[in-house]
Formats: sequence, structure tokens, C-alpha cells
Amino acid sequence: MNKDFEQQLRDALRPVDPEEGFEQRVMARVASEPMRSRAKLTRWAAGLALAASMAGVAILGAHQWQERREQEGLEARRQLLEALRVTGEKLDVAYQAVNRPSPPPDDESGA
Amino acid sequence: MKASEAWSPDELLTRASAGEPAAFASLVRRYQRTVFSIALRMLGDRHRAEDLAQEVFLQLYRSLEGIGSDAHLAFWLRKVAVNRAIDRIRQETRYENEPLTEAASVVEETGDADPLLQRRMAELVSQLPPAARAVVVLRYQEDLDPVDIASTLDMPINTVKSHLKRSLTSLRARVLGTAIVDDIQPSMSEPSR
Amino acid sequence: MNPFFKHSIVILCAAASLLAGASALAADGQLKLPNFDLLADKASESVSITLDPALLGLATRFLDPAKPEDAAAKEAIQGIKGIYVRSFKFEEDFAYPKADVEMVRKQLSAPGWQQLMQVRSSKEQQRVDIYILVEQERANGLAIIASQPREFTIVNIVGSVDMRKLHELEGQFGIPKLDLEEKKQ
Repeated sequence: MNKDFEQQLRDALRPVDPEEGFEQRVMARVASEPMRSRAKLTRWAAGLALAASMAGVAILGAHQWQERREQEGLEARRQLLEALRVTGEKLDVAYQAVNRPSPPPDDESGA
Repeated sequence: MKASEAWSPDELLTRASAGEPAAFASLVRRYQRTVFSIALRMLGDRHRAEDLAQEVFLQLYRSLEGIGSDAHLAFWLRKVAVNRAIDRIRQETRYENEPLTEAASVVEETGDADPLLQRRMAELVSQLPPAARAVVVLRYQEDLDPVDIASTLDMPINTVKSHLKRSLTSLRARVLGTAIVDDIQPSMSEPSR
Repeated sequence: MNPFFKHSIVILCAAASLLAGASALAADGQLKLPNFDLLADKASESVSITLDPALLGLATRFLDPAKPEDAAAKEAIQGIKGIYVRSFKFEEDFAYPKADVEMVRKQLSAPGWQQLMQVRSSKEQQRVDIYILVEQERANGLAIIASQPREFTIVNIVGSVDMRKLHELEGQFGIPKLDLEEKKQ
């Protein structure tokens, strides 16, 4: 009985295909993905010329593919260094506060 | 026949990592059913499932170099798909009162099986809490054994077994409309694929 | 600043570094950040960075060990699983929704988050809060919230944070060279 129920569950959960054209939609998104996921760096706008999104099948030459991956990697590196710069800048505020000379204590001796 | 169809799964992965778009497209074709189905059973909506499935493949595209074999790829895709879906569900926190979902209506006819019953079961699975839902989907859709499920979900194996046991009991009771009087012991042995 | 507080900072930094375990746990230290897309249009300068584990891995592969900046970065991010930065500057005072910044600050009162440091400057109306997330005796997250009338910055680092390594970025990324040992009294 248990095995029957489990088999029914397997039948109910049989894998199904996505809508036709799924592969093409993924490839189109992959082609445009670097533009969308790249962080906005208004001060350091790299102005990378990445491949634009194409309707239908977006199959790129292997060379373009490699080139884009390298561009994405360099862009990610730039973002990382920028993130660490901003982090350091704010930590600097805290370190400076720590190392600011202490004000002299009030003299309450009345002398 | 496309050249990519002649490549072995491991060769596809190697070529995709090296930057061959045809190879990556083949990987998408090879695994789209798995990834989409996991997303669909977890999220209960075809559009959201496709969106999530696309994101999984985008993440794969970024992570290719870290995947060593076809077996690793299968594990990676299931892990990312189900965990992303769980995150999505928890963000939305709507799972408890989900009405009849699209997932429930997407049931492939399986010969003698009762389509209404199958639809009802799929609907009830989509109403399970996220973690339990993930365990049931990985067990009964993906045919993973509890050890692999535990690894995929970063969950103790006893928790996996507990989810399976409670979910089956609950599902059976709700499908049959009976009070919960019997414990269903899920089969923990290797599934027949 | 009270010398005792200086000592406290050194001790806390050391403690946070010791807490940073070799193996980072799951990225529970990720804060939910508001969507600031519309704000970017109003800002005179904006930085919005989202480096999830995949992008961080990609960035790491392109760090050049021959460059000191890159080598320091690679060392500092070991064990880190994600870095999220939102930073905006404006031409006018309080052009940003303070409620959004407060919403982030509120998340840091959740269990596990501990305030490491709080800096207030009444003259500049500047406020900097630094928090770490401690889970099972390990530091698994860092959050910095800095605000002034015309700018705010939120930094969220997820993963095994080693404050000592971040401190060792002296001279890089705008962090000044600082010998805290000499400042002890």
C-alpha cells in the first residue's frame, strides 16, 4: 500500500518541460546578463561595450564568448576593489575617532 | 545531428567551461526539464518557475569553472534550484494558504493513473512548508535517496527522514480524506530509476 | 576619545579576528537591503555593488597577485561569501529616505548581531555604526552603516570576517596607516 502511494506521488510529480524556446531565452539572457547584473559605478563607469541582447537564438562565436567572460571578470574585480575602498573609507572614520587625542580632563581641584 | 549531440556529458561541460556557446546551450537543453520542474513544484507557477530556472542557468554560466564533472553539475543544479526556490518562497511567505496552483494542473498523463488524483497530490505537495516540499520533490521527482537529499539541502539526514515521514502521512490523509491514524513509513532504499 | 575606548576597540578588533573561523558558515549575515534604484537618479554620486559568492569568485580569479592592491584584496576577502555596498551622495541635506536606513539598522538588533563600534560627530552630524554577526562563536558577518546629512553608506559583508585582515589593508583602499600599539597609554 505504501509503495503504491509513493508510486502515485512519483507519477504526480513527473518532471515537465518548460515552454518551447526556453533554451533560446536562456541564451539571450546570458548574452545580455553582464549589462543587467553589473553594478552601477557612476564614478568609474567603465563603458564596456558588451554584446546587446538579441531576439531569438543568441549564439556567439567562441572568441566573443571568451572576450565577454574576460570583461565580466575584470568588471567584477573593479567592483570588488571599489567595495573594499568604500569599506575602508568608513572604517577609517572609526579608526580616526579612536585615535583622536582625548580632550584634557576638567580640573576640578579648584586650585 | 548537431555536433554538440555527439559530445559526452563531461565533454560538454569541458567545452562549455572553455567558452563554447553551443556546448553551454546543450547543457541547458540537457537539464532544463530537471531545473524547471523543481522550480515549478516548489513555486507552483509556470512563469515564476521559468524565471527562476533561467536564473539558475545564468548562475551556472558564471560558475562553470568550479564544476568538475557531469555528476557534480547535476548535483549543483538541483541544489541551486531548490535552495533558490526555498529562498523565494520564504521571502514571499505565502505558502501556507496557496490556492490551487498551476503546478497542480501540470500533470503528465501516466497511462492508468488517475489524473484527478495526480492533480490533487501535486496541489497538496505545493502546499507543504518549503523545507518539507523540497524534500518530497527531491525524493519523488528527482529520485534522490535521503543521503543525497541531506547533502543537497544541507540538512541533517534525520531531519530529511522526519520530513519525509510526516509529509507522506499528511499527504496520504489529505488525499484520502481520512484522519491521520496510520504512520506511513517512506521507503528509504535506493529508488528504482 | 577616551583612552579606555581606544583599548576597547583594539580588544574588540582582536576578538572579532579570533572569532573569524577557518570555515565560514552559511551566509545568514546577509541583510535585506531596500531597493535604491530610484534614489540613484537623485544622487550626485552613487555606488551600488552586489558581489554574491559567484561574482566574488569570478572577481578573485581576475585579481593580479603581482599588484599589491590586488594581493591585499585577495587576502582580505578570504572566507567572505558576499559583499554588498550601497552608497549615495546628494546635493541637499537628507534627500534620502532615513526610514530606509533605519530599516537596515533595525535588522541589526536581531539575535547574533553585536555592535562593535559607534562613532558620533555632532559637528559633522556624522554617525557610523559597525556591527558583527556572531554565530556559534564565529564572526559570520559585518555591517557598517554610515550616515551624514548629504550621504549614506551601507556595507554588508557576509561570511567569515577577519577584521585584522581588513585592518591590514593599511595604505590600500584609503585606510590610513595606523599603529594602534603606539597609541596605547
